[in-house]
Amino acid sequence: MVAKPAPASLIEYPVVESRPVGAYRLISFVAREIAATANPGQFLMVRQAGPSLDPLLPRPLGIHDIDSDLVRILIEPVGKGTYELSTLRVGDRLSVLGPLGNGFDLQGVGTALLVGGGIGVAPLALLARSLTASGRNVQCLLGFRTRSQAVSAELFRDYYVDVFTEDASVGTRGLVSEPLSACLSDNSGRRDEQAAEVFACGPDPMLREVARIAGDSGARAQVSAAAHMACGIGACQGCVVKTTSGYQRVCSEGPVFEADELIW
Amino acid sequence: MVGVPEGLSTTLGPLTLKHPVINASGTFDALEADRIIAGDYISEFPFAAYIPKTVTLNPRVGNDPPRLYETAAGLLNSIGLANMGIEAFISRDLPQLKTLPVPLIVSIAGERTQDYGRCARLLDDIDEVAAIELNISCPNVELDGRALGCDPDRTMKAVSLAREATSKFLIAKLTPNVTDIVTLAAAAVEGGADCLSMINTVHGMALHPGTLKPVLGHVTGGLSGPAVKPVALRAVYMVSAALDVPVIGMGGATTAQDVLEFLAAGASAVAVGTANFRDPLIAGSMIQGLKKLMDERGLGSVEKLIGISHRP
Repeated sequence: MVAKPAPASLIEYPVVESRPVGAYRLISFVAREIAATANPGQFLMVRQAGPSLDPLLPRPLGIHDIDSDLVRILIEPVGKGTYELSTLRVGDRLSVLGPLGNGFDLQGVGTALLVGGGIGVAPLALLARSLTASGRNVQCLLGFRTRSQAVSAELFRDYYVDVFTEDASVGTRGLVSEPLSACLSDNSGRRDEQAAEVFACGPDPMLREVARIAGDSGARAQVSAAAHMACGIGACQGCVVKTTSGYQRVCSEGPVFEADELIW
Repeated sequence: MVGVPEGLSTTLGPLTLKHPVINASGTFDALEADRIIAGDYISEFPFAAYIPKTVTLNPRVGNDPPRLYETAAGLLNSIGLANMGIEAFISRDLPQLKTLPVPLIVSIAGERTQDYGRCARLLDDIDEVAAIELNISCPNVELDGRALGCDPDRTMKAVSLAREATSKFLIAKLTPNVTDIVTLAAAAVEGGADCLSMINTVHGMALHPGTLKPVLGHVTGGLSGPAVKPVALRAVYMVSAALDVPVIGMGGATTAQDVLEFLAAGASAVAVGTANFRDPLIAGSMIQGLKKLMDERGLGSVEKLIGISHRP
């Protein structure tokens, strides 16, 4: 059973750390409640505190890492909301609702293959930390389009990491899904508790490939889905993805789904 | 509900509200909020009435995603009335909502005109249902190709079918996507509506900045949020001047000042929608803020404020 999520709260926090990590920005704030209760794979609804109505809504951001009372988020400026968040500096205030959603199920014992694509690496650091603490063997496969994105691999230096870039600027040329097949080759057909397990977050095409490869080798894969979100708390029905049991809300039934339940 | 200041009570026909701020249908889920957010969202419910998401006669899966896109100070949505159907709502959700300390207003929509009568009849003998809101204005559902609420005759017909089916307080929710909203408002009242709520979302769309293709899976959607407030304020102002029924104002209300203005424009209550997505605790701060703004103006009661913009 996945641990029942702790209640979420809406609180303003000052930024205590803000630094560029290649194409992304790492922002930290002190949030004891979130740090104490959040599960890997859960997310926060985050906006700059204050009355400005543009951007209007918070953005859903995976919890990147937790270090004592410090909660970290990793932001890629892809639109107006994430751009504004990426400009925040020490002392600026965040409005944060969370922790939200269902995180990864950490009950297994086999090797954990963490597959991240682009900003999808964000929630994998806390996941790697938790899995390692529980004695799991953790291997990270991180894929990026560019060198500046791949700088974020440094956030995983405590773990066994293979980096892949589409332009071969860092690590091995290619997509992160390609080596996954090899990693799962000796897993063929196994679904006992020692079997390797995949945890993935990244763009939809990557997740679709991960689901296919894991499915072919019989490995369990949990994937963290993304969608435009408004409320983050199950009210608006806006963030749905198609699953074998119909449309499901990323914020409430997800963001982590079993890969074989998603319909691409 | 705790800590409501004096002088904020208001009425919608037979309904007495402790303050004028309610939620807009589909933007706040009391059961989910109670489950997810720390605190007791049932016994300390922040709104003065609760309107759950619109239900239809049959379950609806809703529109293809993407269903949401943020625009300048606004939000486009095309949810498509995803809901469990009225019978599941009555058997599953309604029993959990019975302990809410505020009036329950059930929002219904018809995929066909006669559904308004059938849904209203199913709610008629349920004591906990204080009122019924007829959503005749959803922009994201095709009813023979256009929203029923754009046609005065069909509006009157839908409302009158509900009127025949129930003695409950009937609220008709109007669309702004019409040439003359007063004509549609009059048709709803002639059909038997006791109260009018306005506005539903404004037709809109967005193109992906890179691909230049429509962002929403449904191509077009409904715009809400601060961007539409002037459209909503005009609708409330014009309809409340023309007709003698209470009005629930909504459309972009985000601050206490917005609530003050909707009341001044003629609304007897104000529904908060998209602002709940920005801050699910916003109703409480709006109520406190409204009291402060009223005190600064020497307004002792909401009753004195309603429609004040129409007076010399």
